[in-house]
Amino acid sequence: MNSLKLTSINGEKNKRTVITVDNVKVGKDFVVIGGPCSVESEEQTLETARKVKEAGGDMLRGGAFKPRTSPYDFQGLGLQGLKILERAKKETGLPVVTEVTDPRDVSWVCEYADVLQIGTRNMQNYSLLKEVGKVNRPVLLKRGMYSTLKEWLNCAEYILAEGNPNVILCERGIRTHETYTRNTLDLSIVPSVKEVSHLPVIVDPSHGTGRLSLIESMSLASLAAGADGIMVEVHYRPEEALCDKDQAMPPEMFARLVKKLRILQSSMIGMNEQ
Amino acid sequence: MSLEAIRKDIDLVDSKILKLLNHRMELVLMANKFKVQIEDKEREKQLLERIKKTLADLIKPEFTERIYSEIIKESKKLQEKDYKLMAFQGEHGAFGEVASREWDSDLVTVPCTQFAEVFEGVKSGLYDYGIVPVENTLGGAVAEVNHLLINTELKVVGAVGLPIHLCLLAVPGTDHREIRRVYSHPQALSQSRNFLSRNRLDPVHYYDTAGAASMLAEERPKGAAAIANKLCAKLYHLEIVKENIEDLDKNMTRFFVLSKEGNKNEGDKTSIIFSTAHKAGTLFRVLEVFAKQDINLTRIESIPSDPGDYAFFLDFIGSDKDEKVQKVLVQAQEIAANFKVLGSYKERIVE
Repeated sequence: MNSLKLTSINGEKNKRTVITVDNVKVGKDFVVIGGPCSVESEEQTLETARKVKEAGGDMLRGGAFKPRTSPYDFQGLGLQGLKILERAKKETGLPVVTEVTDPRDVSWVCEYADVLQIGTRNMQNYSLLKEVGKVNRPVLLKRGMYSTLKEWLNCAEYILAEGNPNVILCERGIRTHETYTRNTLDLSIVPSVKEVSHLPVIVDPSHGTGRLSLIESMSLASLAAGADGIMVEVHYRPEEALCDKDQAMPPEMFARLVKKLRILQSSMIGMNEQ
Repeated sequence: MSLEAIRKDIDLVDSKILKLLNHRMELVLMANKFKVQIEDKEREKQLLERIKKTLADLIKPEFTERIYSEIIKESKKLQEKDYKLMAFQGEHGAFGEVASREWDSDLVTVPCTQFAEVFEGVKSGLYDYGIVPVENTLGGAVAEVNHLLINTELKVVGAVGLPIHLCLLAVPGTDHREIRRVYSHPQALSQSRNFLSRNRLDPVHYYDTAGAASMLAEERPKGAAAIANKLCAKLYHLEIVKENIEDLDKNMTRFFVLSKEGNKNEGDKTSIIFSTAHKAGTLFRVLEVFAKQDINLTRIESIPSDPGDYAFFLDFIGSDKDEKVQKVLVQAQEIAANFKVLGSYKERIVE
């Protein structure tokens, strides 16, 4: 991995990047990000944000610009969605993670959001990577659905090379022959990342499995595997969700999940010193 | 042209008609200040005659007469109410108008092009009050207004401290990615310099923030936006692209409310202007009077009046109805030259 001048660990085994977003320290704390797949309305986003906050979530996710498989699917509210996310942050205090899909939107998304997300389909969109490399907001870089670890880290390298050192990697499942799950959640990538890079890595079990019933166990497994956090799709009324409704978690289930994660987290204290 | 596009134009024409109608009503209220009685049959007759002669293909004389008898009826109704008028500089939606509403929301606000017009209008009795910016956190003293204050006989009857929040406004439906040029008053542009450079937007100077918003709404230039306050978004049917784009959020403008008559109500703050003879220690001796009586000065500013001469603006806590303040004013007047009490008033600080 010679090309990874900035993302690789370069022999310093204990080198870890910690990214501060308001009061949250990604790479140090176990960070729980929850929120709707997309911002559909002010009520839906604000209500979901309140539930995420109540459950003990650390950050709010929500898409304003949605890259969808079909051009006829809901494309997101755009700038209007960003304004709603800003209001949700104002009310709950949760920092906001939102996806950016167009280089022309990067500076505008920075005006409203705390963390810029690059989606799986845009992992190798180099002009977009260069653009987010120029801003002073952390970037959450999702793994491409067909990408190797090396390809993924090279994309992070693009961002770091432009001058933005704050990249959070996010495993979201890869394409395999398996059809029962939407994707195959590759948890082995978490300790793999830790072996070669100092960047924090989190897991998105919602897209990773596409099945509500599997999200909890995969979240706990992510924590056990050494991930720095998880990102889960939560919707205040999953049956009404405009996208990814099969994997949207109802707030009560999310609250239970956060509780279990915190129990596991406390029982893991001191484990790494063994 | 599609039906949708035509309807958009109709909406635009409607807002222009209403804006002009509102301006007509403002003039009607101003005219009222000169009239002994509201009803003027002769003027009404002339007006209707003139209007009937104005040619327009689709507007038939009976129709104009119908419209105008309604307008005249409404005008007289407004005149009967004896509204109090407050003049401000700028176009509707300007910060002066916002400050006026904060001071007294019942006043009818009338726009003036120049600060001098505000002063003269209040002096002549055309307006009951005028509101003018005296100083700003970032910009300092508003020179033109302070000069006018030196020479005016008007009294200060109130003050408003207004936080200045700026918004990026655009015509509804504008794609934010296409915005390139941003029109506003140089002061507002410089207060949001970081925002503009972050988003690679070109600042374009305009004489007034509200004026820029109004121009945007009427001319709809491509790829353009304006920086103005929230009220302008409402007045000119513009969309707020981004709120609070100012680089420093603790920016405030202080306004004075002017009137021909002094303040009859309670006050807790007093403003004076004076100059001093060119002798060592005179300014110190004036200030000493206040210090000895333990009076807190809240503003001290020197404005050049003649070459080498300065007018000193002093604001302090206390009313000219207080005995202690009265005593201090007499003492200070003996030491200073061209001594003038602008007035005692209540200051409202808007959160």
